[in-house]
Amino acid sequence: MTLLDISRYTLDLPDGTRLLDGVSLSVAAGETVGLVGESGSGKSLTARSVIGLQPRGATTTGSVRLDGREVLGAPVGDLLTLRRSSAGMVFQDPRAGINPVRTIGDHLTETLRLVERRSAADAEARAIELLRAVRLPRPEDHLRQYPHELSGGMLQRVMIAGALTSSPRLLICDEPTTALDVTTQAEIIAVLGEQRATRGMGMLFITHDLNLAASICGRVYVMNAGRIEEEGDARQVFRDPQAPYTRRLVAATPTIAVAQPAAAGTAADATTDVAADAAPAPHPPVDTAPHVDLSPPVDLMLDVRSLSKTYRMHGKPPVHAVVDATIEIARGGALAVVGESGSGKSTLARMIVGLEAADAGDILVDGAARTGVPRSRAERLAHSRSVQMVFQDPYLSLDPRIPAGRAIEDALRLHSTLSTRDARTRVLDLLEQVGLGERHAPARPRTLSGGQRQRVAIARALAIEPDVLVMDEATSALDVSVQAQVLDLVARIRRERGLTVLFISHDLAVVRRVCEQTVVMRNGEIVERGATAALLEQPQHPYTRLLLDSVPRPDWDLDALAAIDRTEGIPA
Amino acid sequence: MTTPTMAVKVLRAPRVRRGNISFNLSLAVLAVMTLAAVFAPLIAPYDPDAVDFAAIYSGPTPAHWLGTDALGRDTLSRMIFGARTALLGPLLVVVSSTIVGILLGLLAGWRGGWIDSVLGRIFDVIFAFPALLIAIMAVALFGKGLVAPVIAMSIAYAPFVARLTRTLVASERSRPYVAAYRVQGFSGGWIALRRVLPNVTPIVGAQSTLNFGYVLAELAALSFLGLGVQAPTADWGAMINEAQAGLMGGYFLPAIVPAMAVVIVVVAVNVIGEELSDRIGGGIPA
Repeated sequence: MTLLDISRYTLDLPDGTRLLDGVSLSVAAGETVGLVGESGSGKSLTARSVIGLQPRGATTTGSVRLDGREVLGAPVGDLLTLRRSSAGMVFQDPRAGINPVRTIGDHLTETLRLVERRSAADAEARAIELLRAVRLPRPEDHLRQYPHELSGGMLQRVMIAGALTSSPRLLICDEPTTALDVTTQAEIIAVLGEQRATRGMGMLFITHDLNLAASICGRVYVMNAGRIEEEGDARQVFRDPQAPYTRRLVAATPTIAVAQPAAAGTAADATTDVAADAAPAPHPPVDTAPHVDLSPPVDLMLDVRSLSKTYRMHGKPPVHAVVDATIEIARGGALAVVGESGSGKSTLARMIVGLEAADAGDILVDGAARTGVPRSRAERLAHSRSVQMVFQDPYLSLDPRIPAGRAIEDALRLHSTLSTRDARTRVLDLLEQVGLGERHAPARPRTLSGGQRQRVAIARALAIEPDVLVMDEATSALDVSVQAQVLDLVARIRRERGLTVLFISHDLAVVRRVCEQTVVMRNGEIVERGATAALLEQPQHPYTRLLLDSVPRPDWDLDALAAIDRTEGIPA
Repeated sequence: MTTPTMAVKVLRAPRVRRGNISFNLSLAVLAVMTLAAVFAPLIAPYDPDAVDFAAIYSGPTPAHWLGTDALGRDTLSRMIFGARTALLGPLLVVVSSTIVGILLGLLAGWRGGWIDSVLGRIFDVIFAFPALLIAIMAVALFGKGLVAPVIAMSIAYAPFVARLTRTLVASERSRPYVAAYRVQGFSGGWIALRRVLPNVTPIVGAQSTLNFGYVLAELAALSFLGLGVQAPTADWGAMINEAQAGLMGGYFLPAIVPAMAVVIVVVAVNVIGEELSDRIGGGIPA
């Protein structure tokens, strides 16, 4: 029986913008349906419409039937009934969706007491049962805890338990794992799958991650710009996409599968070339420095020796952010630092670019000492010519008031004595190198898209002509197609300039595209290092294996994963 | 990850703006008052100090639209000339307190540490005294007139501006774009003055306009007490003071006219200030 049936659903804003255009979609009981798309595709809007959360003043046509009842235009009372009995929703960021000043117990028992009129004791017993169902370790204790005491993954389990309190027939998950680490994601997915199976719920799973959708959903719908581009069996869509948009999306999606040749896409070709060229030879193709090939077989560009950093806060145990980290990158090489949140990879990057002082250890860039926060003007300029950084979120790392061209020009003129006219010419030159043009120079960051902003940030870093470019999660805030473009850009710049890159990421698939060498960090320590391909094929450390097993693939085996989870007993 | 999706953006979109009528009306009121003050000699029907014993306490007549006071001086003319001191005083206070406050706030917020603590305690001490009290003290020390109260008020209002600036700068300091400037090799002073300061100024400026109304009312109170602008210069506060005697005799107009002028300007300025800070600063409460 069809649980959710959306047909020819169209939504317009009062100003005439069409956000959804003829969306048709259905979910049956016991089925997992994926809704895949990039940001702005309308997937969240579609999902919110199911429980009557349309934007104010929007006009809608078509129909959205949940459990046989029409949602569009339904009176508030009916919507409440639907939300109470038919559909539950899990949102992306668990921390934003829970009241920080109330306990987990309050959050979970509130609905039970107020809606189902259960007694306090009865509601609590039911809440404990739910917390156990989502596999939280100590349900009784968690009831008395506040949200800040739980990790993101635990909190998302609480939110799932909260969505299950009313025993909904349809569970809508809106990017429920996007804010979480990959190992946590695997655990959450396992819990969701288990609950769906035991309760026979229908599940509408919204994600931007095609790999994830293909690995857990029966059917998927691919959305773009408010329209359904393609629908069908998940693995079928993933392996043999029909619509041009889906094809581009699949080609742009990085994968960790090593043996498999790059998907038939243009985006992947350029980057795999670099990896292939650079991996067998000790030196990359472009190497301008004339070699005196006597003692050091490898010319080290970045040499970090036994770097450590500990944060000490009053009344708390010290946090060892980075412990005895040693990394080396040859001139023109690319090294990836992979780890989950809290692994110390960002602290490592911030020490290398001179934003934080190290407690112990040395950083050498091209033989010059670059340890510590630069003080004098000469130190500052020297440090910034050695290392530049591209930050995670281009929405935040560009000054909102400064136009793109001006931002690059400022950096140029700080480091050179170019005349205004020469600087302008150089700015346009740099903008062209990152695939932007003259018309982007006067644009403020607000008017640029995420990918364009990140290109500006890269151009700004290149303006200084650094020896080493540090990219701290530089593509994780971007959509996959944009990410592919930016990765291509980085590969091209490496080819053309012989730039040395330190690439910080949580995403193994992205790393595979960019870097020949990889180190894996966990709790501040480097647990494994080696050539990227070898590391992905034959991981030695159990943590690396866990990371790899947690990456969703179309042939993902959830049971095996759960087994690893239990045997390893990874502490939070 | 941190980028809001379209659905969220749509749901968060600001509601259709209300209050445009009152905003425009307030702008008009303020514009009229300012023009009146600037062109007072051309507009005012009489010399504000011209005494006419033939027309003492005249009610509204074609000759004197808003009547006359105990000395037969034309109330309308005195109100128009009074607008000069009434608007000039608060303007000076707002400008100087904003400049001083922004610089101190920038220093405290950017440097943090002991500088922040010391400045914070100094602000606390100034907050402990009502602005009017500081102004009266200044008058006692330096004599009556407009200068001493304006300086005193500037000092009293600067901490409000400084505290807001400090908070904004401190949050701005931790944003990635500031780290990006540092990585590029820019000095801390350059980032603070050339980049962070211009980013916070519009918000602080909008908040400062709200101070205009408070200062105007307090300066009027000061001259009502006889400590501000001195006779015979026309001033709204002083006019209310002078009209007190007439109230006993049932002559309300000479007191009500300047009182209404104070109320109208204060309300207009507050409407403008709130709308500005709504538009620019996303409605941070003062």
